[in-house]
Amino acid sequence: MGMTVVLEVQNLSVAYAMPGGALQAVRDVSLSVARGEVLGIMGESGCGKSTLAAAMINLLPPAARVGQGAVRLNGTDMLRLAPAAQRALRGRSVAMVFQDPMTAFNPVLTIGQQVADFVGAHDASLARPDRLAAMLDRVGIPDAARCLGRYPHELSGGMRQRVAIAAALLMQPDVLIADEPTTALDVTMEAQIIHLLRDLRTTFDGAIVIVTHHLGVIAELCDRVAVMYAGEVVEEGPVDAIFHDPQHPYTRALLACDPAVVDPASGRLPTIAGRLPDLTAPPPGCAFEPRCGMALAVCSQPVPRRVPAAGRSVLCHRGAE
Amino acid sequence: MIPVLELQNLSVDLPLGGFLTRGGLPILQDVTLSVGRGESVALVGESGSGKTTLARAVMGLQAISGGAVRFDGKAVAGRDGFARLRRDAAMMFQDATASLSPRLTVGYLVTEAFRIHRQPLPDPARTARELLATVGLPPAIAHRYPHELSGGQARRVGVARALALRPRLVIADEPTAGLDVSVQAEVLNLMADLRRDMGLAYLIITHNLAVVRHVADRIVVLYLGRVVEEGPTAEVFAAPAHPYTASLIAAEPKPDPRKRRADLAIRGEVPSILRRPKGCEFHTRCPLARDVCRLTAPDLRPTTSGRLARCHFADQHQE
Repeated sequence: MGMTVVLEVQNLSVAYAMPGGALQAVRDVSLSVARGEVLGIMGESGCGKSTLAAAMINLLPPAARVGQGAVRLNGTDMLRLAPAAQRALRGRSVAMVFQDPMTAFNPVLTIGQQVADFVGAHDASLARPDRLAAMLDRVGIPDAARCLGRYPHELSGGMRQRVAIAAALLMQPDVLIADEPTTALDVTMEAQIIHLLRDLRTTFDGAIVIVTHHLGVIAELCDRVAVMYAGEVVEEGPVDAIFHDPQHPYTRALLACDPAVVDPASGRLPTIAGRLPDLTAPPPGCAFEPRCGMALAVCSQPVPRRVPAAGRSVLCHRGAE
Repeated sequence: MIPVLELQNLSVDLPLGGFLTRGGLPILQDVTLSVGRGESVALVGESGSGKTTLARAVMGLQAISGGAVRFDGKAVAGRDGFARLRRDAAMMFQDATASLSPRLTVGYLVTEAFRIHRQPLPDPARTARELLATVGLPPAIAHRYPHELSGGQARRVGVARALALRPRLVIADEPTAGLDVSVQAEVLNLMADLRRDMGLAYLIITHNLAVVRHVADRIVVLYLGRVVEEGPTAEVFAAPAHPYTASLIAAEPKPDPRKRRADLAIRGEVPSILRRPKGCEFHTRCPLARDVCRLTAPDLRPTTSGRLARCHFADQHQE
């Protein structure tokens, strides 16, 4: 395919120091994303997807400890750079769009001042009002020049999210990471942001990583999907394969309980009984085994990662038959 | 049969306090709807459509500027009237964790309604256990504090609190917002069970149409504080009569990469209520708007299929 990998996560483990022991939020995750590609990281609360996203831009909270592994951006391990070098990369090479577009902005500065500060810190020439306005225009903000003089509260949630995306793209980063970019928005605004992100692919040649629990957003936007459970990537593959030929029982269960796919006439919705395992002492075997309807005796043993087809991987004993 | 809840031409104006704007800003205009016994009605619309204001007005938390609220056929008025209504109708709030006081235990929180409404509570611990069992929570959880609960547990505690005084109507504001899909399914199943077992009626406020399809018998669509369509859920989803309803349904991301939408169903944002469009208020975003839509406001009228829609061309869309 000749795809250039821009960001590569290799055997990464991240833990949080807790009074009861270390909580292993990300466990031996390996992923990569290529230029021009949209990778979706999908999973429920507590699966480690936000910690993984934070590690990708090297913005882990102070309590987080990187146990092993590397996050390579164009070949350089970001986690092992000096702080000044990390800051230079962040924003310039990797940019992030957050879930809540209100708290991402300072309420007492105008949109123009904030975006100029942000991009000016890297390159003063980018902070010129005409360039800022052109980028706001590109992300679909009407009357972009006037928008620069407005305060965050004067914009709707959808408009603020557009500004956040514009600010991130001004730097022409190699990787854009969006953590739940549509979760705080109405369905109409969500559709517009999805449309915008998809449309940006035609001009933006970096990689996009979308982190969300929303299956619809993943299906609409992504080329490839990594499904996370209990800190691990339990399944990875092309979006069509994940949605139409899921191999891991967790992926199947997750897809089955989305009300959008269940026939309303069927009455009850399928659920996933049980809870996440305690990640301060994760089980040595399959983490999904206690909740899995297909579990066998072997499932309490360490799980091999198998490759059912090119570009796919599954962390499950069953498929190994 | 008399409906549990009836709203007749309900209007809510937000006082602006200015000299020229003394009349107030209309948030809800002429909303008429009813919820029958054991019925589940969904109220949908984007942010700013007036959904939450409507819930607050029903509960007496927001002054009404016109129209009437009837509960069990009797008009509700005055502080005492709404206090009585809040005993028979309970509210489930959007942010379940934030709606629970952090310094009270779950056991106290689920029985708090008895104390607020001065109802007899001979054995609080037992009542708490029973309420928690109703929503599928273990008794031990009564000793926990809200921060020790997961999102799904907090939501269940919210349901248990709402059920404390055996209400006949539950008003649920975004009952599954912020929940994971698997937990969302659990909460929706629980709501369906309670409806069957206790004969509860629901007024569900949400912008999640996938949820609406599963829980609502009827759907009421609000746009800028007015009802633009109303009808049985299955029929509305099969053939929406108002272009706004059609746009909302089309905007929902489908969890199937083979059904990606090529084009946008709806552009732009909800106009400001300070500058309501002339004519049909949806014409600024309507893909089907014609000249008459820019000039004349349509009424909410029955369609040939027996639903209500506020569109000049409602019958044509359905053909």
